[in-house]
Amino acid sequence: MIYLDNAATSFPKPAGPLQRALAAYLARGASPGRGGYDLAVEAEQTVDEVRRRLGRFFGGGDDHRVCFTYNATDALNLLIQGLAQSGGRVVSSRLEHNSVLRPLYHLQQAGVIALELLPFNPQGFLEPEALDRALEARTSFVILTHASNVLGTIQPLPELAEVCGERGVPLLVDASQSAGLTPVRMQDWGLAAVAFTGHKSLLGPTGIGGLVLSPGIDPRPTRFGGTGMDSSSLLHTMEYPYRLEAGTINLLGILALGECLDYLATPEHQEALRREMRLWSRLRQGLSDTPGVELYGCQDETNHLPLLSCNLRGMPAGDAADILDGDFGIAVRAGLHCAPLLHQDLGTAERGALRFSLGPFNTQEHVQSVLEAMSLLARKRA
Amino acid sequence: MGDPAASQGDAYDPKPQVRRVAGRDIVFDQEGFFQDADDWSREAAQELAQESGLAELQDRHWQVLKFLREFYQYNGRAPLNRQLKQGTGMSLLELEGLFPGGLKQGARRLAGLPNPKSCA
Repeated sequence: MIYLDNAATSFPKPAGPLQRALAAYLARGASPGRGGYDLAVEAEQTVDEVRRRLGRFFGGGDDHRVCFTYNATDALNLLIQGLAQSGGRVVSSRLEHNSVLRPLYHLQQAGVIALELLPFNPQGFLEPEALDRALEARTSFVILTHASNVLGTIQPLPELAEVCGERGVPLLVDASQSAGLTPVRMQDWGLAAVAFTGHKSLLGPTGIGGLVLSPGIDPRPTRFGGTGMDSSSLLHTMEYPYRLEAGTINLLGILALGECLDYLATPEHQEALRREMRLWSRLRQGLSDTPGVELYGCQDETNHLPLLSCNLRGMPAGDAADILDGDFGIAVRAGLHCAPLLHQDLGTAERGALRFSLGPFNTQEHVQSVLEAMSLLARKRA
Repeated sequence: MGDPAASQGDAYDPKPQVRRVAGRDIVFDQEGFFQDADDWSREAAQELAQESGLAELQDRHWQVLKFLREFYQYNGRAPLNRQLKQGTGMSLLELEGLFPGGLKQGARRLAGLPNPKSCA
């Protein structure tokens, strides 16, 4: 099996971090922050240590403002619904995933917000000048993806953040695709918030993600419940991080995330990331040289994640993916990738596209097999 | 200000369509898949095949449709890719070329199996 759907969920996972997390969970997996006995206190300390390290990983300033969620969609919902102001205006982009678009459209349909979506250029990048033109006095916030999950293009966040900073508008960032592949520097760039998930390029398990908030960005809680503190109050606490964490958190996921942060920093993994980009270049070039393959987005490795999308002329993307899976043992993602507006703009809203997303465990042989399979499919279709 | 929690206005609700096929009124989804697998008949499959540009379903087509229907009836789901390959004795590439519209819009739709939920 050749797995090339790492932009959805990285697979396989590095075994060591997950095994160590499970061992720690079995040894001291008590209720974090719910009780005064030593085991519960130690579990809470472990969670806080991972918060501290995640804050540092994303270049945030205050460890308490790292809140755990189920995934990035959950984090983005907390952000968007917690910061939306009645009568306010939100600026986002046509590159976004439904995890951003659907909460925004929900609020727009309910008459809460007005919404403006920035276009992207033919190479798949947002332009700071367009953002500057879109900002108005009543803009509550801007929310943008750091990297497209279809095109793989890494957006010019420092420049986009500078525009927002000059206008005093908070910039919220969806780092689902970028976290673990390219640095995110919240304080340096002036980002107001970053939403991330653990199961993609942070290499963790599904079910754990989070939010990192800058000081002054205070989403209203939209979920309420037990926090292990102030139990006499019938109102949910406004204290971070519990303000956005209702109910017992995913300790096993958090332990795994902590172990994965160690793994990501190893020289071996850093070399694997460089190899991914070399493989991406080879894949991109090979597909580009294959008659009948249409590639989308930028051709240049600069500011790019190791993923790309394409189509085979004359064959529905879903069928091509099924053939790659059934006949060649190659797992790729076909369809709209939960990014319907991007596909509208690419002209692929009806047929979708095939997405190849590499991971740290892919090899040259994998890429060669993909190129041979795609070449055969293209020849049969010609 | 509207109440987001009360709004259901943005829920996705594709409308089914009723069409007369092989002498019967049959409900199809927006992509032309049978809403109810029990509405399928050989005559309906033949008529839909003609619409898609296949003048007549041949033995190889019927073999594929038979496998898909029997698998679905027995398991309550469509076969996995490897099961489809094994069960028909054909590569998926061959299968894709056999039906106008390919695997999903061709074979699966003509067999009366439900539209797969994934957006692929």
